[in-house]
Amino acid sequence: MGDNNEKSRILSIQNLIIKFKLRGQVLTAIRDISLDLYKGESLAIVGESGSGKSVLVKSIMGLLDKNGFIDQGKILYKDYDLSQFSTEKDWLKIRGKEIAMVTQDPMTSLNPLKTVGKQIEECVNLHQGLKGKEAYERTLKLLRDVGIHDVEKRYKQYPHEFSGGMRQRIVIAIAVACNPKILICDEPTTALDVTIQAQILQLLKNLQEMYGLTTIYITHDLGVVAKVADRIAVMYAGDIIEVGKTHEVFFDGKHPYTWALLSSLPQLGAKGEELYSIKGTPPNLFNEIKGDAFAPRNPYALNIDFVERPPFFKVTETHYAKTWLLHSDAPKVEPPQSLQAFFEEGRRYAYEQ
Amino acid sequence: MWYIGKRLLQSVFTLFIIITIVFSLLRLMPEEGYLGAAAEKMTPEQQEIILTNLGLRDPLLVQLGNFYMDLFKGDLGTSVTYRTDVPVTTIISEKIMYSLFFGLGAVALSLIIGVPLGILMAHMKGRWLDRLGTGYIVFVVAVPAAVYYIFIQMYVTDIFNLPLLFDEYNKMSWILPLTSMALAPTASYAMWMRRYMVDELNKDYIKLARAKGVKERTLMFRHVMRNAFIPMAQYLPATILFTITGSIYIESLYSIPGMGGLLVDAIQRQDNSVVQGLVLIFSSLGIIGLFLGDLAMALVDPRIKLGKGGSTR
Repeated sequence: MGDNNEKSRILSIQNLIIKFKLRGQVLTAIRDISLDLYKGESLAIVGESGSGKSVLVKSIMGLLDKNGFIDQGKILYKDYDLSQFSTEKDWLKIRGKEIAMVTQDPMTSLNPLKTVGKQIEECVNLHQGLKGKEAYERTLKLLRDVGIHDVEKRYKQYPHEFSGGMRQRIVIAIAVACNPKILICDEPTTALDVTIQAQILQLLKNLQEMYGLTTIYITHDLGVVAKVADRIAVMYAGDIIEVGKTHEVFFDGKHPYTWALLSSLPQLGAKGEELYSIKGTPPNLFNEIKGDAFAPRNPYALNIDFVERPPFFKVTETHYAKTWLLHSDAPKVEPPQSLQAFFEEGRRYAYEQ
Repeated sequence: MWYIGKRLLQSVFTLFIIITIVFSLLRLMPEEGYLGAAAEKMTPEQQEIILTNLGLRDPLLVQLGNFYMDLFKGDLGTSVTYRTDVPVTTIISEKIMYSLFFGLGAVALSLIIGVPLGILMAHMKGRWLDRLGTGYIVFVVAVPAAVYYIFIQMYVTDIFNLPLLFDEYNKMSWILPLTSMALAPTASYAMWMRRYMVDELNKDYIKLARAKGVKERTLMFRHVMRNAFIPMAQYLPATILFTITGSIYIESLYSIPGMGGLLVDAIQRQDNSVVQGLVLIFSSLGIIGLFLGDLAMALVDPRIKLGKGGSTR
């Protein structure tokens, strides 16, 4: 798998297409995505609801709903092609052991009838092969690692005796207890209030270092992204339209959708002006999408955007965007006024470091 | 413990209220019920003497007090018309064993079959077994029990050459009444179990458990089953009561000398003291059932605290 990148690839998604059968119709949720994940990095996948972020990571773990299927493409991990996996036995080699997940809502993600200790220990038993006293000690250590005090007592308590933030810590402990290589965090902070969010993100960051994890964050919160991600992949309507290092996407975004996303950050809005919002709605995934999916909502759309789908244009070695604006024949288009100042300031800050 | 104690106290109190109401209502019944078969031949004076001797001319509160005094001694009075001068307790105790045996037997049978059936149906949701089970449930719920009871008695006895009527010493004759009685509760257990299993399976914690690499089968048994059983626990007492009291029809079909028929007989013959005793027993069974249901819930669900504050187990 040696590439000329400085880091080694750990997971590689190639030309993935995922479809869902729904009431006799077929919906295309993921439209031909390719994405690499490098060892030790943290990648953030951002996009609005329904853009396919969750479907993408679920397919990595074989947790797609029954009516969803991989139509084409490969998901390469180690020597496996996960897209070919069909039986439970296959997936059990991956789930937990290699790739673990932190789910979205800590209030409902824990079994209400089992003590949190037991729920963590189940993973320790399954994936670390420890039993009895050893497993117990290990569980206590995990509890301590995720920042829980008084662990012996907490071990014996039930989820309803924990607060939301605490439960999210437990969920994280469960994921980490599996000893995975890749940790997927599916909107890990959405259900939490702001002060707890920061703590949980810091915790995830620490654990990533402590356990040498590669993490994927799925989120629609750009604030979360800025805090934790090394790289960002922006998704729109089942496609990755821009991918690059965090500062590249944030301060030198090329795709008009990325601009639109950043412009709608409340922090960028000028006082007294109406907050920017993206006009229109995302496309209907039941229909075949022609050209650039964002074109109908894109004020910078070119004629070709409605006809042909843009390929990835290379911006830098690490930064790619799918927009015809980067083609050499395209007219020169500058990002919106309000963003330019932000871009400049950000770039100055990023490159000074 | 505090929780159990509180529930126990509530149960006793409820029972007290029920008995008092039943007792008072029966005082409104025609008084012939206390006079026996010879009532028509008596002069009003003779009737009056009998009623006074029975204590029926005392104020209601005194009657109630006496009734409770006797009740604590285990005396429910004597039958008037049903079997004259035989203590009600004797009459009931002769029959209660049959009803309890068939009632509890049917509940046990339906639990043994219904719960696993529901689990299997949830596991194979949408496949043939699930459809078959659903068909069975719809059939049992939609068709009046009397209809399929009779069909079973008419045809199944023929096909398997089983006895038509109940005979205490022939175990083969126990099979049909027991299975007939178990049909309906089996269907309802299967239905609820399937429903709650499917409910639980769609919850987030199952997704997390799957994501952490728990086998589907382990998931079913270790995570889903117990959680699905909690709401089930509340149906348990109701069905137990239903099966015991609802056996009236089965008992008369197979001529089982149980309590179901007794109540009808006693009401028809206006034997107030027998009716009173029976209602008392049925209502206590109901209350005991509810109490046990609550207890079962508290045992499986740690969110219901057994202790007053403090730690849970």
